[in-house]
Amino acid sequence: MLRNRRRLLLVIFVALAVMLIGVWALRQSLSHVPLGPQQTVHTINPKIGMHTRLTDEVEEQKIKRSLEMVRELGAPWVVEYFPWAYIEGEPGHYNWVHADQVVEHASRQGLTLIARLGFVPEWARPKDTTPLYLDEEHFVDFAKFAAVFVERYRGKVKHVIIWNEPNLALEWGYAPPDAGKYTALLRATYPLIKAAAPEVQVLAGALAPTLAPPGSEFGVDDLVFLQQMYDAGAAAYFDVLAIHAYGWHFDPDSPPDPAVVNFRRTELLRAIMVENGDAAKAAMITEGGWNDHPRWTRAVRPAQRITYTLRAYDIAQQEWPWLDALCLWVFRFPWDQNSYQDYFTFVRTDFEPKPIYTEVQRYAQGATP
Amino acid sequence: MSRRQQLWAATGAVVVAGVIGLAWLAFPEQSASLLPFLRRDYTWQTIQQRGAWRVGLDPSFPPFEHLDAAGAAVGYDVDLAHALAATWDVRAEIVAMGFDSLPDALKAGKIDSIVSAYPYDDRLTQDFRFSAPYFDAGLRIAVPAASSIRTLTDLTGRQVGVEWGSMGDMIGRRLQREGMTLALRAFETPDALVAALVDDQQVEAILVDNVSLRQAQAAGLPLRAVADPLESVPYVIVMPHQATDLQDKVAISLQLLKERGEMAALEARWFGKPPTEE
Repeated sequence: MLRNRRRLLLVIFVALAVMLIGVWALRQSLSHVPLGPQQTVHTINPKIGMHTRLTDEVEEQKIKRSLEMVRELGAPWVVEYFPWAYIEGEPGHYNWVHADQVVEHASRQGLTLIARLGFVPEWARPKDTTPLYLDEEHFVDFAKFAAVFVERYRGKVKHVIIWNEPNLALEWGYAPPDAGKYTALLRATYPLIKAAAPEVQVLAGALAPTLAPPGSEFGVDDLVFLQQMYDAGAAAYFDVLAIHAYGWHFDPDSPPDPAVVNFRRTELLRAIMVENGDAAKAAMITEGGWNDHPRWTRAVRPAQRITYTLRAYDIAQQEWPWLDALCLWVFRFPWDQNSYQDYFTFVRTDFEPKPIYTEVQRYAQGATP
Repeated sequence: MSRRQQLWAATGAVVVAGVIGLAWLAFPEQSASLLPFLRRDYTWQTIQQRGAWRVGLDPSFPPFEHLDAAGAAVGYDVDLAHALAATWDVRAEIVAMGFDSLPDALKAGKIDSIVSAYPYDDRLTQDFRFSAPYFDAGLRIAVPAASSIRTLTDLTGRQVGVEWGSMGDMIGRRLQREGMTLALRAFETPDALVAALVDDQQVEAILVDNVSLRQAQAAGLPLRAVADPLESVPYVIVMPHQATDLQDKVAISLQLLKERGEMAALEARWFGKPPTEE
């Protein structure tokens, strides 16, 4: 009797185990999205790029579809954000699942991925600070993470951006923006990245174009901040300057002016590079473009957005030999933002291409306007 | 009742009151829906006490709201706010701010409602309450007054105008992808689009947002909308989530204004009288 009961329990246990393994295997097979064959990007302008927003895109199929559509657009470059806090939630413990998906699919689509690093985990910052706050004590933790990141994705990620818009208080954890401290962050990070993967290009800057007056609590003028970075010795700790080039309501041929935020402000940042002996370095626009919201004060009409965008890609290719890539904000959001931000996108959340997507695609294929 | 029974009854009452109180503190929304007597709409009470309904809007979107020469906010939404407030015997106090600041201002209690050509957003129903739509700014098919086009399928084989890059352009291209044979022609501005239909007759129909369409009609141009909107963009009044009484009052007053013909008069004031739709 006792033996029968034990045998019955054993059968039940084995059956449950088989069922669990079956469910696990089924889940694995259902959730796996094949990478597909190796692709290449076809374009007449190799500087075309897009800033995707896959950080909060949880469905791998949608990650793949986004990157497929970037490739089909004719954009060889893609910028994506990899939040440190999402990957190293505890010191030394890494969750690479989402990052692996983005990197593998981008690689398989033949895209050159520029990885933006930032967003501080709770363990690396004081309580009651935002995830964009990083004190000097933890610069080395960020540097170690960056080194682990480039080592893991060696051969697939060859460009990393250190932080985002450090000249804004918002992006600097509501601490006063400080070019000296940002340079210290570069100084801590650059050697560790180079030690782990010497071929990786380190992008610095990614400054917000702003006309903030001296002493502003919101930020520091990007032209001023870049010079302060050079004064602090930043030149030795980056390979490429990352630039944010928004046109607001100006056309892309509006002349550069330190008192105006427009697309050709890029040339003023470039001039500062040259003045500081950095002419041999390249620059990349890692955010920028125009917005066609019907009522946002910095927006343009949809037709202007198309014309300006195509002209900007031409400027990048024909007039700016020192610029390697022009990556525009933003390809798609995982969900509607229900604000003017939705009018920066090239495809809707359901992947329906906006006319600007089709027009850039035609341009990249060499069609005449 | 014995002293012992009285003690039990008192203890029971305290326990029940405590449980209700704790439930209210922990789950105010759910408790309020289960126990209506706990529901209190402080927004409505405050409007009554203040004698003013604070309405937030971004005065940069004519004809719904813009600033006149004297710097005062005017427009369809401003008039709608005053008309609604009048039905409650309070005044509407207009608070101008940027469009993207409106939801935060509502959450922070700086304003009582948003009346600012605000599109309905089903993702925000946990944070806010919405009125029924009072205007649909979505995409319409517009044709000359004498046109024989009456339905979407009537566009087959026709020359159809769109504003280049707009929602109309996107949906026109979608219809082509889905197999409809229509010839799309793009124009750079809404004015050029309407002129191509009405003045030059370069196209037989246009896909245009309802605000541009109604503005063209207000200017006396002979065009009319046909068929249902191809995409709906309903404008609604936004209220704090706890403002259940205010939501009820807005619903009643919108219906009242409609019955009195004041909504139609309001639309005619800012857009002209709409031609008969088919």
